[in-house]
Amino acid sequence: MEAYTTDEPIYALATAFAPSALSVVRTSGDNCIQMISKIFSSKKRLLEAKSKTLVHGYLQTLDGERIDEVVLSVYRKGQGYTGEEAVEISAHGSLSGLKRIFRALEDVGFRKAKRGEFTFRAFMHGRMDLTQAEAVEEIISSKSELSQAKALDRLEGRLRNRLEEYREKLLYILSSLEVQLDYAEDEIPEEWIFPEEEVDEIITGLERLLSSYDASSLYRDGAKIVLAGSTNAGKSSLFNLLMKENRAIVSSIPGTTRDYIEAWSDIRGIPIRLYDTAGLRESADEVESEGIKRSERLIEEADLILYLVDPIERKLPKEKRENMIILYSKSDIEKGEGLSISSQSGEGIEELFDEIEAFLTKGGRKLDDIVIDSERQRVELASTLETLRTVRALRRDTSVDVYALYFQSALEGIGAITGEVTNEELLDTLFSKFCVGK
Amino acid sequence: MKDYDIIVVGGGHAGIEAASASARQGFSTLMITQSLDAIGRLSCNPAIGGLAKGNLVREIDALGGEMGHLIDISQIQFRMLNKSRGPAVQAPRAQADKFTYSRNAKELMEHTKNLELFMDTVVDFLVEKGKVIGVVTERGWKISSRAVVLTTGTFMEGRIFIGEYDAPCGRLGEMAAQGLGKALREKGFDVGRMKTGTPARVAASSLDYDEMEIQPGDEEIVPFSFMTDEVTRPQRNCYITYTNEETHKIIRENMHRSPLYGGKIVGKGPRYCPSIEDKVVRFPDRERHQIFVEPEGINTEEMYLNGLSSSLPEEVQRKFMRTLPGLRHCEIMRPAYAVEYDYLNPQDLLPSLESKHLENLFIAGQTNGTSGYEEAAAQGLMAGLNAGLKLRGEAPLILSRTEAYIGVLIDDLVTKGTKEPYRMFTSRAEYRLSLRHDNADQRLTRKAYEKGACDKERLEKLEEKLKAMDCVKELVKSYKERGKNGLALLKEPEITMDYISSHVAKLNDYPRYIRNEVELDIKYSGYLKRQEIEVDRFLKNESILIPDDFDYDALEGLSAESREKLKNIRPHSVGQAQRISGVRVSDIALLMIGVKSARKAKESENGSPE
Ligand SMILES: Cc1cc2nc3c(=O)[nH]c(=O)nc-3n(C[C@H](O)[C@H](O)[C@H](O)COP(=O)(O)OP(=O)(O)OC[C@H]3O[C@@H](n4cnc5c(N)ncnc54)[C@H](O)[C@@H]3O)c2cc1C
Repeated sequence: MEAYTTDEPIYALATAFAPSALSVVRTSGDNCIQMISKIFSSKKRLLEAKSKTLVHGYLQTLDGERIDEVVLSVYRKGQGYTGEEAVEISAHGSLSGLKRIFRALEDVGFRKAKRGEFTFRAFMHGRMDLTQAEAVEEIISSKSELSQAKALDRLEGRLRNRLEEYREKLLYILSSLEVQLDYAEDEIPEEWIFPEEEVDEIITGLERLLSSYDASSLYRDGAKIVLAGSTNAGKSSLFNLLMKENRAIVSSIPGTTRDYIEAWSDIRGIPIRLYDTAGLRESADEVESEGIKRSERLIEEADLILYLVDPIERKLPKEKRENMIILYSKSDIEKGEGLSISSQSGEGIEELFDEIEAFLTKGGRKLDDIVIDSERQRVELASTLETLRTVRALRRDTSVDVYALYFQSALEGIGAITGEVTNEELLDTLFSKFCVGK
Repeated sequence: MKDYDIIVVGGGHAGIEAASASARQGFSTLMITQSLDAIGRLSCNPAIGGLAKGNLVREIDALGGEMGHLIDISQIQFRMLNKSRGPAVQAPRAQADKFTYSRNAKELMEHTKNLELFMDTVVDFLVEKGKVIGVVTERGWKISSRAVVLTTGTFMEGRIFIGEYDAPCGRLGEMAAQGLGKALREKGFDVGRMKTGTPARVAASSLDYDEMEIQPGDEEIVPFSFMTDEVTRPQRNCYITYTNEETHKIIRENMHRSPLYGGKIVGKGPRYCPSIEDKVVRFPDRERHQIFVEPEGINTEEMYLNGLSSSLPEEVQRKFMRTLPGLRHCEIMRPAYAVEYDYLNPQDLLPSLESKHLENLFIAGQTNGTSGYEEAAAQGLMAGLNAGLKLRGEAPLILSRTEAYIGVLIDDLVTKGTKEPYRMFTSRAEYRLSLRHDNADQRLTRKAYEKGACDKERLEKLEEKLKAMDCVKELVKSYKERGKNGLALLKEPEITMDYISSHVAKLNDYPRYIRNEVELDIKYSGYLKRQEIEVDRFLKNESILIPDDFDYDALEGLSAESREKLKNIRPHSVGQAQRISGVRVSDIALLMIGVKSARKAKESENGSPE
């Protein structure tokens, strides 16, 4: 790990680097207000601006050449996102404009932030706890609006509050045990009774949180959907329809889609990674058979396979898998039995979406509650749950010192999720995620 | 040439252990105490041990200390507490004949090689270049030494209160040690006030025993000392009675006469050992409180009323006490009283119990904000031992939280400090399953021997025991039933060592305590393995050491509050830093990075490879 100075002035684009009406560039670090004033038209107003106020003006180069009309949000030390002195620049979103802003910032001494560095600073300055820091990480990398919304929830501490609830319940149980251990039988003669209901409640709650991991990984990583079926079954047409744009070549010559094509989209708010594979047939063509091998691998890894069947050819898959939906194409030409779709007219597409959504969210994989989404949280949660299940299963004549051991370790486990309990591993994980250090 | 190697100030439970630990290491030692007749006096309850405290006593013994032996030869009732709540937390407790205990303690000190006793009161230290080099006494003696261990108990600027009456005493009828508190304040020590209280002693012949429950001791007496083979002492009963509405009414009506509620006492008292006034105020719904009536000795008339400590005026005490069954005709011999005294902030100590302000000064016992004989003795032992190690130029013996209650005690004190008199509880020890009282010798004796803290005999005794335990294990293993051997069988809840002994006659040749210990080891092995995981987790951060000269000011991004605390405590490891209350997790993260890069910088300076 390298020594990491937190106050060095840095900048980063907070919005996507894409043409848009408005872009926000964040800066943070000691002296950053003063530094920006060198490339700002209303120097005096900026230097005198109170914390959490807006200053309007023009960003310009060091030579005084105007770059863009901007609004600056000024944060004095201790007030902004990172807890450091900070300025947020709201600018017009042209790519060339943004590039010039970056250059100007670098000219006055800012450096480009490393990935997650803002969050790292916020954590370091005590502006957020671990679950919040992870939520930011999540927002940065999330692929759909719904999962961003969930991450935002966590940023507000909802996961922490929920865990805090369980922690308090455990603490209560543990303290009822500790009283027994800290005082003698003649002082406190009552026997301890295992609080089955309370423990079950916590177990159920934690189980739900744990299953939310699957859901949230679905929402974060997206579902892998592979289009399969014989050549000419109409996969590329469907692919295009799903992508709502022409990315794959559509052709009626067998084997045109040589390899597979991948694209991001979302269906009913669930992010999906859609793969169009080469037609599954034996081929003498070397390039193509390589492509076929790769498609086979893709199919193995898929969350869902949409197997397209030409209603005239009616070539069904050799083996029907559990995660496979059979779909008849070209319903405008001839209707197959079961789910049918026409990529030409769009007929049947809603039914297909229903099917896909139902499949992907079955077993509670729906984002409707607080979720966990880091692998670290999942591991801690799973082991805490395991501890509670074990203690729940202990014989009721087990002595209280043993019960206490389990409840204590469950309590620690929850502390580790929220980051109240720190250890090196946890920090190492965190830092590597935030790209701090070599 | 110094007069002595080590001077121990105070002859209480901390002083006894400090002085003998010093003398055992061969250092010429002087114990200066206000009264030779009060050495080892039990100021409050006539008992040694109890939950967590009993574990402390056995750890003290395992490290070569005196307390276990002293109670074995002074006790008048033995009980193993919380047997039903699990072997890991059960603990021995013994009622003591106070007068026998104190006399035994004094005679033990008198016959300790390298140790001299002197009656006087220390009023100041001799200091040279930031080091203590001796003491000044009330009668004007200046005595020099290479190190000093301070154990003033409740005596430093002590003041006792009984209703409207107050007097400069450390115990009723014993003068406070005046002057030292002032001198230490002037030297810049962080001195505070604490308070504690003790109940009345009543005449045994004035009690109505048929109105109280009898509380007998156990048949089986387990010695506290690993060196004691058998305890043969006369045993006495204790009694139980209860307060009632009438008692509470009298107390409530007279509350305004308590110095505590009148604001005369400023020191903070213990929450877990409250006066009866406190209990009545804090638990208004409780219909009754339990009171234990305990003999103060074999032949004495004095009976101790455990649970009735008070600082109300004597006539009020008499009035409310006479509402309890069994006490309706009681005659007070000594009244209940509260005592307030100076203590020194233990956060100013290194984990060796040496002062950060004044080199070669070690501080132990109630002076560090604790309460209880066992807590005092444990610290006294470590202070005396570490003072000696310092003079020998060796590293101090610092016990970890994972290996001893003593480790927990001292780590808590120096890391977190304390706002009220600190008492040991099992819940303070995270890894208590392995801190059983019966295995204290296995945990500590070898360590003590290596540091010269105990003699060879003790180590041999341990080895003998270990050998016997191995033989017992072999015998257990030889037993077969349902295709399983005895070790596997013993893990089943229904199978006991007694059961196996009834089939393997040879097992009965081994003493019961050996068989018990083996039984527990086996029965608990699964749980202990589980605890190991937690221990490993804990030790990871303990092993990231912070260099003594670590520069917190150079660590960017630390919050001002954490920086202040870290600079003040100077934790020796990141693990310890984490336990300082109010230090943020993010600051710990920064500290970890800081420590690592400091280490790297040093390594590359020294040219060693990464
Ligand atoms: C009124 C009262 C109530 C208590 N209540 C409780 C309780 O409820 N629970 C509990 O656990 N414990 C209680 N105790 C505390 C228990 O007595 C102590 O914790 C224990 O005795 C502390 O041991 P020590 O060695 O630190 O000090 P002490 O046993 O107090 O011994 C200190 C010795 O040092 C001597 N000394 C002090 N200063 C000097 C000096 N400057 N020069 C020379 N000699 C000096 C004193 O004369 C004394 O002999 C109470 C004590 C008192 C007095």
